Amino acid sequence: MTRSTRHTSSIPTTTTSSPGTITRRSFALGAAALAAGLTTGLSGCGGDSGSAGGKVTLHLWDTDTRPERTANLKQLIAMFEKANPGITIKYLGLPSDQYMQKISTAIATRATPDLLTPKASDIAALVAQNALEPLDERFQAGGFADQISTAMTDSSKAAAPDGALYLTPATSLADVIYYRADWFAAEGLKEPTTWDDFHAAATTLNNPAKGRFGYTLRGGNGFFSQFVEMVYPRAGVETFFTEAGVSTLNDPAIVAATQEYVAMFGKQTAASDLTADFKTMVAQFGAGGAAMLSHSIGSYPTLTQQLGSDAVKAVVPFPAANGQNILTGRMTTGFAMFRASKNKEAAWKFLAYTMGQEGNSFWAQKSGYLPGNKAVAAEAWVPKNQPMQAALAAEKLPTAAVLEQPFYLPEFSAITTTALLPEWQRVLQGKLQVPEFLSAAAAKLTEAQATYAKAPK
Amino acid sequence: MSATLLPAAPTGAARRRVLRASYPYLLIAPAALITLVFLIYPVGSVFWYSLQHSNILRPLDDGFAGLDNFRRMFTDEKFWDSLRFSIKWVVVEVSLQFVFGLCLALLINRTFVGRGLVRSLVFSPWAVSGILTTTTWILLYNPSTGVGKYLADAGIGSYGTSLLANPDTTFWAVVLAEMWKGIPFFAILILADLQSVPLDLYEAAEVDGAGTFQKFLSITWPHIRRAVVIATLLRAVWEFNNVDLLYTLTAGGPAGATTTLPLYVAQTAIHDRDFGYGSALTVAAFIVLTLASLIYLRFNHEKGDEQ
Repeated sequence: MTRSTRHTSSIPTTTTSSPGTITRRSFALGAAALAAGLTTGLSGCGGDSGSAGGKVTLHLWDTDTRPERTANLKQLIAMFEKANPGITIKYLGLPSDQYMQKISTAIATRATPDLLTPKASDIAALVAQNALEPLDERFQAGGFADQISTAMTDSSKAAAPDGALYLTPATSLADVIYYRADWFAAEGLKEPTTWDDFHAAATTLNNPAKGRFGYTLRGGNGFFSQFVEMVYPRAGVETFFTEAGVSTLNDPAIVAATQEYVAMFGKQTAASDLTADFKTMVAQFGAGGAAMLSHSIGSYPTLTQQLGSDAVKAVVPFPAANGQNILTGRMTTGFAMFRASKNKEAAWKFLAYTMGQEGNSFWAQKSGYLPGNKAVAAEAWVPKNQPMQAALAAEKLPTAAVLEQPFYLPEFSAITTTALLPEWQRVLQGKLQVPEFLSAAAAKLTEAQATYAKAPK
Repeated sequence: MSATLLPAAPTGAARRRVLRASYPYLLIAPAALITLVFLIYPVGSVFWYSLQHSNILRPLDDGFAGLDNFRRMFTDEKFWDSLRFSIKWVVVEVSLQFVFGLCLALLINRTFVGRGLVRSLVFSPWAVSGILTTTTWILLYNPSTGVGKYLADAGIGSYGTSLLANPDTTFWAVVLAEMWKGIPFFAILILADLQSVPLDLYEAAEVDGAGTFQKFLSITWPHIRRAVVIATLLRAVWEFNNVDLLYTLTAGGPAGATTTLPLYVAQTAIHDRDFGYGSALTVAAFIVLTLASLIYLRFNHEKGDEQ
């Protein structure tokens, strides 16, 4: 399958001549001091990674700063430092909604750190700025091609416009539908296995008078992820573009699935879901305000902490009418190295550590992400993480097909957020019809794909 | 003979004169340099980029654009929608903040028990950082944990609703949040001016039989008018450029209903990384603000002259 279808001032302080005059020497000294001060100040803005006395200090910028995740990442860093006594990693958490601004500024001012935790959807923008170091050679030389899931490696490469490996396939997300197992049991409902089960449960468990809704629908920022999770598997469409490079967003099956999904808004969902983003949605589910939630497996540790592991279960999106199991949200969540790093070998050691068994096992287990290391995927703790087990089991189905989102398109993020979000909210309000919305969205993506196909790689 | 035609070498006195003449310029040089680096250069670069195609996601398409970005603006509905919303936002916010700020200032200018405490409470929202203000209002409006949930628990309203998520109430919800922060600004400035009004003017007016409203119109208002003009102008500029509160509370939604022009600039330049078009939008905002400020000042200058 081809990519195109798949996816000082100068005031004298000491004078030797008459008062009020400036000597050439004092002026030069003042200017030099000012320049030095400015230079020092500016250089202090970026990281000062380097090596001294055999010790290497690396700087890592993290783009996902949820408290529990940060604690786990710091623990991972501590484990790495213990295994590599000559290397120290300084952690810096960036605001989750503004990190790309900070990174772009750092790239422009040549003040990038050594390491980053980008999302697959960020890779196109970072590669366009020539900011990341390709990892293909080191990956091969380190023997990771055999140790790491091929599907995850391919997915990571697919996120880059030039098809190179920039993001280590350390772990991956996967979409699941969480449900309140305790509410299901109380109503005598079995675990949903079909779309009909899902809709029946959403209706049965919907009780607005008690502040309980059947489902929480993401109408706000980031809506596209949940939209894809609920619509493509329902429609049984496994690619974003046809062989001819035309977007499948206005495929009749996608239109029908979207209409069914939109019909839930305001009936089995809260009216406030119109603007619900990730935090609002997860908070609503965690506070007992919704029976079901579509999100990635990475939310499981947080949800079980809030509700207990017996109350929260997860299933993968259900098979389509054509029998296909479309797997969504398989987005690599690894680490990357900046091209401008002065300590690439030390930085690579950290990247390798996160893919090796010890580091990968810890990180996948604590974060709740699918492990990229094949040996880790076979460890005893994996089956105990119910959503992870469900996601791994789904991969083995003969009818399974992974839907790759076209993160390699530079405009993908702009289209699916800035451009489509207001239109999506108009659809939910009934001010725009689903076919019109999807046709306009498809046209934008088709145009972006055509531009990408013509551009030199 | 020829030697007399050569310019005389500068004497020590002449050199001192030159240095003395240049001394003021050297004194202001640091400030001029800072202004140049941190104001003139950035503003100039925005004008320059507005004439460029500059998108870091499409570096191969970058180059001189001429007026393309401005032509695009004229056919961009989002630009016109955001400009219309910006004007509505500024007019409503500044008017309400001024009216409530004036009322508060008149109230706390009176003498009563606990006046110091009341003044502190009135001014406290202005001292709270912007991020704390928005976080507080986000929590208040949250459908799962906010006021709406507790009202629903008490049988008032419905669960699963939020003022920010209802297109009919979003505007007034964000107006309320911004007013909470902005009213103290007017109250502080007006109160400072109220305290400079000579009390004997009021006493004389009372002797002449003037009522409260007449005293306000004939004494108070002329004294505070100039401060009000400056305060409203400053506040209008700040409100026009407001990004943090709107971005955090609504991100310009729902369905673009609360997108101001600066917020649209932020979406275009920061999120979509289209710096060329984002710069052109910024230039448009700069021109709109400059013209509006000049007209407002001219209008008030003429009114002041008449009075």
